[in-house]
Amino acid sequence: MATKEEILEELKEAVIEYEEEDCQKAAQKVLDNPDLMTPMDGVLDGLAAGMEKVGVLFDTHEYFVPEVLMCADALYAGLDILRPHIAQDDKGPQASVVLGSVQGDVHDIGKNLVKMMFDIAGWNVYDLGRDVPLEDFVEKQLDTNSDVLAMSAMMTTTMLGMKKVIAMVKEKNPDCLIMLGGAPLTRDVANLFGADGYAESAGNAVSEGIKMISSLRKYQKGEIPA
Amino acid sequence: MAELTGKERVMKMFKKEPLDRMPCFSGQGSVTVQAIEKMETQFAKIHNDAQLMAGAALTSARMWGLDGLVIPYDMATVAEAMGRGISLYDSAEGIIYPTVPNKWKDLDEIDIPDNYMSQGRMGVVDKAFEILKNDAPDLAVGAWVLGPFTLAGQIMELDILLKGLKKKKDQIEIFLGQVTQVTIDLCKHYESLGVDFISVREMGSGTDLLSPRMWKTLIQPNLTKVFDAISIPSVNHICGSTDMIIEMMHECGADAISVDQKNDVAETRKKLGNDILIFGNFDPYGTLTTLEDTSAVADVIKKCIDDGVDSVWPGCDIWPDVKKENMETYVQTVKEYGVKPSPAVKRI
Repeated sequence: MATKEEILEELKEAVIEYEEEDCQKAAQKVLDNPDLMTPMDGVLDGLAAGMEKVGVLFDTHEYFVPEVLMCADALYAGLDILRPHIAQDDKGPQASVVLGSVQGDVHDIGKNLVKMMFDIAGWNVYDLGRDVPLEDFVEKQLDTNSDVLAMSAMMTTTMLGMKKVIAMVKEKNPDCLIMLGGAPLTRDVANLFGADGYAESAGNAVSEGIKMISSLRKYQKGEIPA
Repeated sequence: MAELTGKERVMKMFKKEPLDRMPCFSGQGSVTVQAIEKMETQFAKIHNDAQLMAGAALTSARMWGLDGLVIPYDMATVAEAMGRGISLYDSAEGIIYPTVPNKWKDLDEIDIPDNYMSQGRMGVVDKAFEILKNDAPDLAVGAWVLGPFTLAGQIMELDILLKGLKKKKDQIEIFLGQVTQVTIDLCKHYESLGVDFISVREMGSGTDLLSPRMWKTLIQPNLTKVFDAISIPSVNHICGSTDMIIEMMHECGADAISVDQKNDVAETRKKLGNDILIFGNFDPYGTLTTLEDTSAVADVIKKCIDDGVDSVWPGCDIWPDVKKENMETYVQTVKEYGVKPSPAVKRI
């Protein structure tokens, strides 16, 4: 019979080697062995830990975006099995995010990588998709009173829309944190727009998102204070 | 000696013949809101009307004193002509470029129609070239097309394409071969319309997305076929990270390579030598739209020249909402500071 460490290693390897079926099988093993670990252990120390390694491979130019996308598919294959079984007590702080790519942008790779990070963290994710009219972001944020609003624009030509959304949301809900991401953005531009967070590109979303996953794992384990 | 026309200046540069100064033009869209306002129209309307499309390019070029112009302004014309639809955002506020709403979602769905060259707005672009060739004989008239990989990402979902590069390599290679033929056919078509130069923008293939190894096996062979087929001056433009693939870009055989602000042009010049034309590499939004001080704009342009470009090109389309004084400074600095020879082009 497999040990906890072996099952977690299977989950990690399946994510790193982008093997969706292997990830599903390993996730099922987690559920079949409730005496060894909880589903949340599988998510944090298996799937998320595997994605952390993917981040290292990405930073060292061993993996590029195609590989990372496939790793994400494998991660979701496992997460879809584990998530319904995570106990309410294990979910950590409940928080919600509204995210999407702004109108004029039909690219959503960066947005989806950031979404993965929130999914792993167990947040309530309201994904508006792509080519989202500006007023839809505002409406959804106000409807849900989400803690975070995350917007992505891959094209220079669409990022100016973000500024208007930020102004509208901040006017009505100044406590909402706003994250911006997208290839053409710079930190200066994000500051200029009045955003609270910033990720440069799909590539940076990978690095930054994975660093956030790492922090989340430590937080869930009580290694860092809230 | 009579002053060179813009077209003469650009064409001589492509032949690496001595010039009076560096030409100021681009293979990326250079239409600005000031021109659109002067024409009393809207940005959303210049994409599907030949008179407005040509007029916006020509009015911008005349207004700022550019040596050339380029159309169209969006990257969706071919995908639209292949039946993937078009979102023009004509009722949205502000400037939004057209996009493709219905990309193919699976390799098995792809069915490139034979008649795409006459569908959608393809005829509008053709007519606009005819107008420009007639109305702007003194300016270099450029066409731009998407490189095969980027075009593939316009007609099918990008994440499916990217994952297919690893999971369905053989099928993707066949598909990219088909799309390469589309790019070649477009280039030959625009050549037949009399355009002066073609910029092939393989903008989605930088190492932000793809590995150098993938670039070598899947991008370089197709781009090489495209440039082999073009018989007029050609430019290989890639935005994003290009330092790791710059030698391979050069090997594709274009007359010039164009890179954006992520490229270390001084290092690129060292790697490639002084014989190749290099264009680039300022951040158009960060320079022309956001900078508050025109002396900072001049510094950006001077750095491009000092780093070793033969023509100062924006790394992407000029964001139409430029500051007037920044645009003027960009053009003036190219003309004045570009009097000194560039690495590949001497001066008269």
